[in-house]
Amino acid sequence: MENIVKKWDSKVNSASDISVTARGTLSMLMQHLNEEDKRPVIKLSQGDPAAFPCFRTSHAAEEAVINALRSAKYNCYAPFVGIPPARRAVAEYLSRDLPYKLSPDDVYITSGGAQAMEIILSVLAGPGANILLPRPGFANYEARCAFSNLEVRHYDLLPEKGWEVDLDGVKALADENTIAIVIINPGNPCGNVFSYEHLKKIAKTAIELGLLVVADEVYGHLTFGCTPFVPMAVFGSSIPIITLGSISKRWSVTGWRLGWLVTCDPTGTLQKSRIVECINSSLKIISNPVTFIQGALPQILDLEKTNSDYFSISTSLLKEATEILCDKIKEIPSITCPTKPEGSVFAMVKLDFSQLEDIDDDMDFCVKLAKEESVIVLPGVIVGLKNWLRISFATDPKYLENGLERVKSFCKKHSKKHFY
Amino acid sequence: MENGASTKWRFEGNKDYNYNSNTNTKTAATLTVRALLNTLLDNLNQNDTRPVIPLGHGDPSAFPCFRTTSVAVDAIVDAVRSAYYNSYSPTVGILPARRAIADYLNRHLPYKLSPDDVYLTLGCTQAIEVIVSVLARPGANILLPRPGFPYYEAHAKHSHLEVRHFDLLPEKGWEVDLDAVEALADENTLALVIINPGNPCGNVYSYQHLQKIAETARKLGIMVIADEVYAHVSFGNNPFVPMGVFGSIAPVFTLGSISKRWIVPGWRLGWIVTSDPNGIFQKLGIVDSIKDSLNISSDPATFIQGAVPQILENTKEDFFSKTLDILRETADICYDRIKEIPCITCPNKPDGSMFLMVKLKTSLLEDISDDMEFALKLSKEESVIVLPGIAVGMKNWLRVTFAIEPTALEDGLGRIKAFYNRHAKKQ
Repeated sequence: MENIVKKWDSKVNSASDISVTARGTLSMLMQHLNEEDKRPVIKLSQGDPAAFPCFRTSHAAEEAVINALRSAKYNCYAPFVGIPPARRAVAEYLSRDLPYKLSPDDVYITSGGAQAMEIILSVLAGPGANILLPRPGFANYEARCAFSNLEVRHYDLLPEKGWEVDLDGVKALADENTIAIVIINPGNPCGNVFSYEHLKKIAKTAIELGLLVVADEVYGHLTFGCTPFVPMAVFGSSIPIITLGSISKRWSVTGWRLGWLVTCDPTGTLQKSRIVECINSSLKIISNPVTFIQGALPQILDLEKTNSDYFSISTSLLKEATEILCDKIKEIPSITCPTKPEGSVFAMVKLDFSQLEDIDDDMDFCVKLAKEESVIVLPGVIVGLKNWLRISFATDPKYLENGLERVKSFCKKHSKKHFY
Repeated sequence: MENGASTKWRFEGNKDYNYNSNTNTKTAATLTVRALLNTLLDNLNQNDTRPVIPLGHGDPSAFPCFRTTSVAVDAIVDAVRSAYYNSYSPTVGILPARRAIADYLNRHLPYKLSPDDVYLTLGCTQAIEVIVSVLARPGANILLPRPGFPYYEAHAKHSHLEVRHFDLLPEKGWEVDLDAVEALADENTLALVIINPGNPCGNVYSYQHLQKIAETARKLGIMVIADEVYAHVSFGNNPFVPMGVFGSIAPVFTLGSISKRWIVPGWRLGWIVTSDPNGIFQKLGIVDSIKDSLNISSDPATFIQGAVPQILENTKEDFFSKTLDILRETADICYDRIKEIPCITCPNKPDGSMFLMVKLKTSLLEDISDDMEFALKLSKEESVIVLPGIAVGMKNWLRVTFAIEPTALEDGLGRIKAFYNRHAKKQ
């Protein structure tokens, strides 16, 4: 077998050499847990409300999936674009918030938002092309771009301006090879929700620069602050928008793997550029989402069928969680939360090392926090902001409170003595 | 805000998405079975009121006689209702599912797999995607069977991995031409793919032949990728033997799923399993590459993973034997009816999977020059879909599925005979 060993030189296309994802880092942190610590591990890391019973999905959604399964009509392979009732249901669901109607043909059903992202990035990738990603952002974008050989340039989200896009920065970054800009709204990891005015400015900038906008809206409608969610596709008549979404977050079914890639383009610009053709080709060579979950989609997205309490209960739980988060963080001198989250399930908080002792950086903070307090949070360096932390509040409120209490004692233990 | 209609879009213009990667993807896409079948479906005569007879693809799930076992359906309902499996799963899949698959496969393996040898994928399709992308590197090549399953070629093209084809020999029950394999391999060859039970040929390899394949792989210093998506779908004389049995001779990646044996291709639950008692894959870092690839790809639905233990452990033997009885019957029907149609010959009666290959004798036909033309005209005139052999690497052959309800199969073959009679060369 020496021959195989000789042949296997350095991994050319492994994503791991190039960038690190949240999942990978969280696994690593879990390995630092202290086995002697009998307390339960508290994970404030992954944006997964489905892990908590208080966020259990609506009964209507569960029944929809079971009915579709039992019908025995959906055990077959699905068409690569998705089954027609699913495409129609997504078109109708999204069109509710738009000034024009999407057609089912604009909708491609994918295995979660993750696969929608995979497809659009592989379509846009090409020699010399580059794409603009937010910083801080969602590390899977960088990983997938590396895998597809698509050059990445980062524009900043400004903490002092509620995490708005640094549009001057965007203009400076873009060149004739810049193909698209990705915006994540509601924001992961910042928990911000862009206002209509700001989205309009982003659209205007994108038009000036000739860029496609990829609007990652997996947290669509998961808002609980003053700013309402506005889908980027409202500007579709002025600029083509690719919307990525899923049922994962709003319905707390991250494990169901059902999402969509939608071309919001009433003027038909995307069709002319053959992007649509490329999306179709990509879909033909990948594995599709479960057929019976697609079959259940019309019932799931039928908002009248979903118990109307379901959404208000989950958003008020999230709102309560953000209150707990902000209050607790205020009690910790070495951590600040500049902007109270208004949407999604994450907040970015800043570490003040002038008040901490024997902690080198955010990664070291998280490793030691795992070891000493059995609490897992994501170091900001993974999302592009070193010496910040990303905290998930999509948890049971008491769980969050316990976790933050442990973070507080950790910080106290490591505080530079004269501050207490 | 001004309308963007006059905008010069960066994504338009001379770039026009003719990047190599997109051209490759487009070519890759046309190579898939589904793409070709779509072309044939588009050619159907809308005025023909007869039901379409689908003899082109391996998906019998629509037929009541092939309906999956209630054990499997109940397992999923339980998993959904538990509300325990709505969240993200770990990259490699949830432990109970991996353990259940290891136990299930261990029933037929001499040494025991551990759950860590199992990686869950979104159907066997994603298992192929991952394996091909992990192996792809500049200069490398892999050996694929001809005829084969074009998804391998499609993904290899997409990943810029060179492929070389070895023949399966119709005169030898579709066995691998091992001399050709040795001639094809060079110092850049990484792996050889075998599909057993065979798609598209319907063969089931003997223990001896599989052992020879393993020994050849060892001699050449390459790994074996055993596509066993049709594992245990065998109803002839040769029992199914998993390639993992020979894992100590040459390291094996086994690709599998529940799609075929349980007739649930829409459930998208498959696996990559490493049969590698000598730990070669670990040493090479291939295992890490697989995890990296899975880390940035989508996973199978968590509740379906949650149902796997119940599905694998509780499915009754008589569900499997009932399905095999139907397939044995339809394989017989197919083989016998084909004997009555002069322009097509089946060199080997199928022993497994859901397909057989027939050779087309265009010299007996008036106005049909090849397999593609045969398939297109058959679709238009008789509303019967068969796959032209060009799709699987053998021009002027056809791939026919027998995994459909028996009366529909008889109907379809009857229509093919009528088609022949209409197009037969006048003597």
